[in-house]
Amino acid sequence: MILRSEAMHRLVLGAVGVGLFLFIWQLVGTYRLAGMTWPPLSDVLIFISDPARQTLFVRAMGASFTSVAIGYVLGIFCGVAVAMLGQVLPVARPGLDRLVAVIHAVPLVALAPIFMVLANRDLTPPAISALGVFYMIYVATTSGLKAATHSHRDVFSALGANAATRFFRLELPAALPALVSGMKLAIPVAFIGAIVGEWFGASRGLGLLMVSAMQNFQIPLLWSAVLIVTTASLALFGLMSLVERLIYGRFR
Amino acid sequence: MSSVKTFFSRYWGIIGILVLWQAWVSISGLNAIVLPSPLSVVSDLAANPGIYASSAGKTFLVAVLGLTFGLLAGIVLALAAWTSRLLNGLLTPLGLIFSSIPVVALIPILARLLGYDIRTEIAIVAIAAFFPTFVFVGAGLQSLPAGSDDLFKVLGSSPWQRFLRLVMPAAVPNMMVALRLTAPEAVLAAILAELLMGTSGLGYMFREAAGRFAMERAFGTSIIATITAVIVFGLVMAAERRVDAHWK
Repeated sequence: MILRSEAMHRLVLGAVGVGLFLFIWQLVGTYRLAGMTWPPLSDVLIFISDPARQTLFVRAMGASFTSVAIGYVLGIFCGVAVAMLGQVLPVARPGLDRLVAVIHAVPLVALAPIFMVLANRDLTPPAISALGVFYMIYVATTSGLKAATHSHRDVFSALGANAATRFFRLELPAALPALVSGMKLAIPVAFIGAIVGEWFGASRGLGLLMVSAMQNFQIPLLWSAVLIVTTASLALFGLMSLVERLIYGRFR
Repeated sequence: MSSVKTFFSRYWGIIGILVLWQAWVSISGLNAIVLPSPLSVVSDLAANPGIYASSAGKTFLVAVLGLTFGLLAGIVLALAAWTSRLLNGLLTPLGLIFSSIPVVALIPILARLLGYDIRTEIAIVAIAAFFPTFVFVGAGLQSLPAGSDDLFKVLGSSPWQRFLRLVMPAAVPNMMVALRLTAPEAVLAAILAELLMGTSGLGYMFREAAGRFAMERAFGTSIIATITAVIVFGLVMAAERRVDAHWK
């Protein structure tokens, strides 16, 4: 009971904190305390919900969120696949680790020329997004696959399990919590990749909207695009936190 | 012989990519405007070391200054939140929210709010570093052993001693973890800010080169950007090791 009231206390205080933040945003905007480039929250919300601009936002959201989804799924798939390859072929492991570390050290922007060369411009956002997600998932999966202990492995071998059974019944379930944590942390990365990719001349999307609004002083449009991206990213992040909690309860 | 073997087992992936790249350019006979060969990129690097070095130096400076300011602000606010339960309850969820949003999305807003200059770039990097630092240091301070604060008081320590011997050892290693996590993003944020605002540094160089299809220059900038990111990360790792040796 004490614990529950402690949690309640925290929840209420947190909600008050977020409410205060939104209130200050509104106040600063209304009285122009930060100049003309900080609009009140209500203006931004009215701007977003104006039916005349619905097609603009829906089109941009469709493009960006498709990039995020493709990048996220592709990144997870490749990350898990390469991590499994390292598990099955231990000879390849040190080289794979170095390669992946180098790929990660390259700032996402620096990869843009490669994608501009290799693919059409609208493929750059999902590709950069996938690369960022890939690194997160690779690291999470390789560390997760180490989670099964030696004694567990010995039990499986002693009971006559072959390598495939051991992999699917022991190593994979043991890796699941780490993998899900990686999937949670990969959500903002997927969004960053898609937006950065769009800055390199995609033909539509929220990232493009941001840059053109920034350069043309369309302040409400700029804030709306940023608000939509951050809200979407946060909502998915929250959803993955719930999934993470479920998985931790079941597999750990 | 065995050292060659170890080298190969560690670097086969990277060597493979370089070989594939050169082979692809040679075999397909692509125009240099589309895809420059590794050799022509290296020769551009060797021919213009001054341009590359000055841009990289500027980006490096922005990243390091921004990281420093963000770190200091994060640790100060985390300490302030630790002294008051109310402040802690109000600020911690906000910090968590802000540390999990894609920071680069805020760059256009900050550029408009603060103006197109180098101080804005430093502020962007500082903001990227600030929120994770606040969250990690706050978590470190929350995990002090129960009653340790009371013990210090009972034994008659001054507030300053408590700060030095109890609070700092709990906060500093966590601060270094936050620094390690934010360092790669800091370099990315610095380059992106330069790219969007078009002021100077590697990001600007990149935009300028891509704009006139000077692909050797664009690829060269990518390589220098990577080296800059690796240097910043290496410095952070070295700092973390020294701090851990001292504080843990």
